[in-house]
Amino acid sequence: MNLREIAFKKPLKLLMLLMTSVLIATASATIYYSLTMQPQVTVIAPVLKFSTAPDEPTGSNVQDSWCSLNASSYPNATLTYEKAVYINNTDGGSAHSFRLRHVSITPANGTATVGNWTSIKFLVYNSSGYVFSLNYTVDSTNWILNPSSGQTSYYSVPQSTGWWIRLETLSPATAGTGNNCDIKIAVDVEQ
Amino acid sequence: MLSISLREELEKLASELLPEFFALLGIDLFLMLSLLTCLLDDRMPKALPYVYQIAALVGFGHLLVSQNFFTVFGDYMRFWYCFIYLLVSLANIVAVNIYFAAVNKQWTLAKVWSGVVSFPTILISIFFVFSYSYLHGVPFPLFLQIALIVSVIIMGTSVAIFLSPEALRNRLRGKGGGN
Repeated sequence: MNLREIAFKKPLKLLMLLMTSVLIATASATIYYSLTMQPQVTVIAPVLKFSTAPDEPTGSNVQDSWCSLNASSYPNATLTYEKAVYINNTDGGSAHSFRLRHVSITPANGTATVGNWTSIKFLVYNSSGYVFSLNYTVDSTNWILNPSSGQTSYYSVPQSTGWWIRLETLSPATAGTGNNCDIKIAVDVEQ
Repeated sequence: MLSISLREELEKLASELLPEFFALLGIDLFLMLSLLTCLLDDRMPKALPYVYQIAALVGFGHLLVSQNFFTVFGDYMRFWYCFIYLLVSLANIVAVNIYFAAVNKQWTLAKVWSGVVSFPTILISIFFVFSYSYLHGVPFPLFLQIALIVSVIIMGTSVAIFLSPEALRNRLRGKGGGN
């Protein structure tokens, strides 16, 4: 091994060690940072709660933070659940906003059974009347959402106030009985 | 007012110190050792820088385990295994110092090492360990703090004198000459 080789070898070794050192130090610091960011999650009662309403469909399940409405629809006749479920702001100190957001629906678009419904509407009301809605209407074998984005704007529920959802369903005259449609809607609440 | 807010800020910062900080400090010390031993490879075993890199990697794995079992291990256990890792890295720094002084008989290098590497790293580690223990409910009385500072100064001076006895001899001779 000549002198030139030795002179070249040491800086190269140092550079390699420096690079791996930077890599290890950065990765370690990132892990430590992620540890400091470990969140503490405390279970609290929701401020906007669902509660049972007078026109709740039979077989529904209404809990504080979620609800399952077991609605029906008639061929060629609109079925309305005037007050299907309440959404109450239980916070006595401040207003809270919420919106309805489409998550999923079955049967999916393009399926022939979609034609068994004409419309399914979730309309939000307060004591002054209609506020906003999330509607599903059928065009041939496709679901059309209104608003088309699949989510409404946020609307503020005043403190200690109850709003409710009015559910309207309609099927065409040709609809076959026994067909089921599952809709999942998220209620996003701004705390 | 300024002193109060500064104290509050420091307490807030220190209260966010996790036991894994000692492992992170240990990793950085091993990496520093790796680079320094590479620079001094004509005086040290050739494989040593790589050994220290591996030791740093072990510490990295150690942090990964901590991250995944964060909720399983308690604060007490996390502190001790991270602290032991830090102690191992500090022991290596001191061992290199002793190697220079006792095995290689390179007194000047050993003195420089003790002043530039060993002494500051030990002091920094002690500072963080006591900050952590104090802010986690382990009281650290004022007289013990003073005792610590005094003992650190004495230790530093003793190491310097141990590594260069001729300086002490010259000093004593100078004083004797004056009489």
